Amino acid sequence: MLEQLAGGALTLFSDPLSIGIFFAGLIGGMLFGAIPGVNMLTLGAIFLPFSGILSASDAIMFYSVLYCSGTYGGAVTAILFNIPGSPENAPTAFDGYPMTQQGQAGKAIGAAVLCSSLGGTCSVFIMIAFTPLLADWAIRAFGPPEIFALVFLGISVASSVGARTLWKGWLSVLLGLMVATVGLDPVAGIERYEFGFVYLLAGIHFIPLILGFFAVSEVFVQAERRVVGIYRMHAVSAKLPSLLEFWRLKIAVIRSVLLGFFAGILPGIGATLAAFLSYNEAVRWSRTPEKFGTGRLEGVVASETANNAATGAAMIPLLALGLPGGALTAMMIGVFQMHDMEPGPLVFINSSELVFVVFAAMFFANIAIFVLGYLEVKTVTQLLRIPFQFLAPAILLLSTIGAYAVRGLATDVLVMFAAGIIAFFLRRSGYSVAGIVLGVILGRLGEQNFAQAMQILSYDMGAFISRPIVALLIGAGVLTIAINVYRALKGTRRGLGVKD
Amino acid sequence: MSRLCRITAFALGSLFGLTLVAPAIAAEMMEKPGGFPERPLSMIVPYGPGGGSGQVSRAMIQGVKDATGIDINPDYKPGGSGMVGLKTYMAAPADGYTVLEHIDDATSAFAIGKSKIHPAKDLIPLVISQITFSQIYIRSKETRFTDWGSFVKFAQAQNGKATIANVSGEGSMERINMNRTAEHFGFKIQQISFDKGGPRYAALKGGQVDALFEQPGDVRGFLESGDFKPILTFLKERPAAFANVPSMTDVGLKFTPLMRFRGFYVHKDVPAARVKYLQWAFQNGYHADSYLAFNKKKYMDLIPSFRDTKGAKQLIDDTMKIYKKTYKEMGLIQ
Repeated sequence: MLEQLAGGALTLFSDPLSIGIFFAGLIGGMLFGAIPGVNMLTLGAIFLPFSGILSASDAIMFYSVLYCSGTYGGAVTAILFNIPGSPENAPTAFDGYPMTQQGQAGKAIGAAVLCSSLGGTCSVFIMIAFTPLLADWAIRAFGPPEIFALVFLGISVASSVGARTLWKGWLSVLLGLMVATVGLDPVAGIERYEFGFVYLLAGIHFIPLILGFFAVSEVFVQAERRVVGIYRMHAVSAKLPSLLEFWRLKIAVIRSVLLGFFAGILPGIGATLAAFLSYNEAVRWSRTPEKFGTGRLEGVVASETANNAATGAAMIPLLALGLPGGALTAMMIGVFQMHDMEPGPLVFINSSELVFVVFAAMFFANIAIFVLGYLEVKTVTQLLRIPFQFLAPAILLLSTIGAYAVRGLATDVLVMFAAGIIAFFLRRSGYSVAGIVLGVILGRLGEQNFAQAMQILSYDMGAFISRPIVALLIGAGVLTIAINVYRALKGTRRGLGVKD
Repeated sequence: MSRLCRITAFALGSLFGLTLVAPAIAAEMMEKPGGFPERPLSMIVPYGPGGGSGQVSRAMIQGVKDATGIDINPDYKPGGSGMVGLKTYMAAPADGYTVLEHIDDATSAFAIGKSKIHPAKDLIPLVISQITFSQIYIRSKETRFTDWGSFVKFAQAQNGKATIANVSGEGSMERINMNRTAEHFGFKIQQISFDKGGPRYAALKGGQVDALFEQPGDVRGFLESGDFKPILTFLKERPAAFANVPSMTDVGLKFTPLMRFRGFYVHKDVPAARVKYLQWAFQNGYHADSYLAFNKKKYMDLIPSFRDTKGAKQLIDDTMKIYKKTYKEMGLIQ
C-alpha cells in the first residue's frame, strides 16, 4: 500500500500541470473558505466545466485538495473577526475569537493550523488503511435512528456552551431548535411558521444567521464599549502555542480525530456537524466546562481537528460505495462521470492509480496547510492593528456581501442584521448565541432523522430504544442532562461564557 | 493526450474559455437579448446532489456550457419531497437568472392540492430531458428474499413493517405505483422518503430498509458493482437492458405505470425574450454530446426523453389528468 501511495505521489509531482492544479486547489480553497458567502463549493462549481479537459486524476485531485484547504480556510476569519468563513468553522469562533480579544490570536490560529493539518493527515492515513472496511461498517451500523441519537447526544451538552446559567443555556438551545422548525417540514413538506412569507418557506438560511450572530453582534458589542469608553484594541501576538500546551490537549486531539472521522464517514453528515459534535464533546469531557466560550484553546482544537478529519473520511463512502456525503463530494461524482467512470468498489480495481493520487494529494494538502498556515499566523494577525473605526465597517461590509452572495436575496441581508441585533441583546442578557446556532444545525438534522427512524421502525419506541447504539447514545445524553441539572440545582455552576 | 497538449488545453480553457471564447460562440448562434445573461445563472435543484436530480442537473449544466458557453451554478435545496426547492424558486426574482430543475413531483403535488404552483402554467418548461421508468431493488446479498415472489411473501409476513426507501410525498409517482402494487399483492409497506440520494442508497446498502424504489440510471453504479439488483420493472414489457427482470405484465399488475420525468423551468413572469434565449440554450444543452452520452449511460435512451416547451406542457397536462383521475379513484381529492 505504501508503494502505491508513493506511486500516487510520484504521479502527482512529476507533472508540472498536476503541481499547478494542486496549488490552485490549495490556495483557492484557503481563499474561498475564508470569505463569507462564498466557499469551496463556489470554487468547485466554477471549476467544474474545466474538469472535462483535464485528466480524471488531475480533476479529482483538484477537488480533494480543495476539500481539505477549503475546510480550514474559514478558521482564520472566525478567530480574528468572529466571522466564520464557512459553517464548519462556526464552532472555531466560540473560543477562537475570545482568544483574539485576550491577545492570543496567534496561538488560536496556530492551533487551528496545526490541528487542521493533524486532523486531516490522520484521517488520510485511516482512509488509506481501512476505506472499504469502514465504509461498509458505517452504513450498516448507523441508520437514521442512530444518527438521531447522535444528534440528541450533541444537543444534551449544547446548553453548557457560552450561557451565563444552565437555564439560559437551555433556552438558547430551544430557541435554536425552534428556528430550525421554520419552513417546510423535511418529510411531508408541510408549511410551518412561514406567516405568509414565501422567504420563510425555505427556512432561515444558516449563513446570514451565523454572520448576524457572530460578526454583526460583535461589531455592536465593540461599538457599545467604545461609546461607553471601555473599548481597547486587541493586543496583537503572533506567538504560536507551545508543544507543552499541545501535549496537554492530546486526548482532545485524538477524540476529535476519531469523532470527526466518524461523522465524516456517514453520508449526509459531514464536516460541519463533525466540528459541532467535537466541540460539544470537548465541553462534556472537560473538568471546567464553564470556561468554554471564554477563550479555551481546547475549543479551537476540537473544532478544527474534527472538521478536517471529516474531509478524508468523506472520501470513504464516495470512493468505496459511490455515496456522496455532501455537495462537494457530489460534484466529484460528476467529475468521475465526465470521465466515464463511476466511483464505487470497482474504482479500486479499475482505477487504483487514481485513488492513490487522491490519497497522496490529500496527504500533501494537509502538510501544505501547516506550512502556509504558519506563514499566515505571522502575517494576517497584523490585521488586528487596524483601528476599530476602520475595521468595523469593513466587517459589516464583508458580512453584508457574504449574506447577499449566498443566493442574491436582499432579505438575507435583513435577516443577518436582525440576527445581529437580537444576538446583541441576548448576549447582554447572558444567553448563548453558540447554543442557538447549535440548536439550529442539530435541530434540522435531528428532526429529519427522527422522522425517518420512526417510519423505519413503524413508530415503535420500544424498537427504537432497544437498538444498542441508540440506547448507548440516548442514555449518555440523558445522563449528561441529569448531571448538568443536578450541578445547577446544587449551585455548583456559576458564571459561564459570555459576560457582556 | 500528451502532457504538452493538456497544458495547452487547460491554459487556453482557463484564460479564454469563460470570458471570451464561449460567449463569442453563443453570440454567433443566438443573439443575447439585451445582453442577457451578463453573469452566471443559478439553478435550484430541489433534491440532494447525489440523487437523480443532482446528476441530471450537473449533466445539463455541462451540456449548456458546451453548447452555448453559459455558466450555471447549482444550488441544492432538498426537503419536503421537492417542495422546499420549488417554493424557494418562486421566491427568487423572475429575471431569468435563476432556473429550476424539477421532476414529476411538481405535477403530482399540484394535482393533489399540496402545491399551488402549476408546472406548465406558473412555470415555463424549457426542456424535459429525462423520461424513465422505475424499478424495485434489493441487496444482491439479501438472504430473506431473492426475487419478486419471495419479496412479496416477506412483505406479507411483515404485516406492514416491511420498508422501502424512495423520494416521495403523499400522492407522488412512487407512492401511487407502490401503493397499487402493494394493494394488488395484499401487503402493506412503510415508504420512507430520503430527499438526498446518498443517504437513500446507503439505507439499502446498509440494511436500514428492505428495498429501494428508484430509476435504473440513478443506481447504475450499484448495479454494475453487483451491490443492488432489480426485482421488478414498472413497465408493461421487459426492456432489452433488463431482459431478466420481471415486468408488470409478468407479475400480473394491470395498472398503467407512472413515469419519472425531469426537466428545467423558469418563472412565467420572466421576460419573453429571455425565456426564448433560455429555451434555445437548454434545448441545445440537451443535444450536446456530453448530455446525450450522459442520458445514454443512464438508460434514458430506452424511452425517448426529449420534449421541447410545447411537448413538455403536453406531457405535464397529460400526466396531470392521470394523477387527478387516480386521486379521485383513491378518494384523495373530490
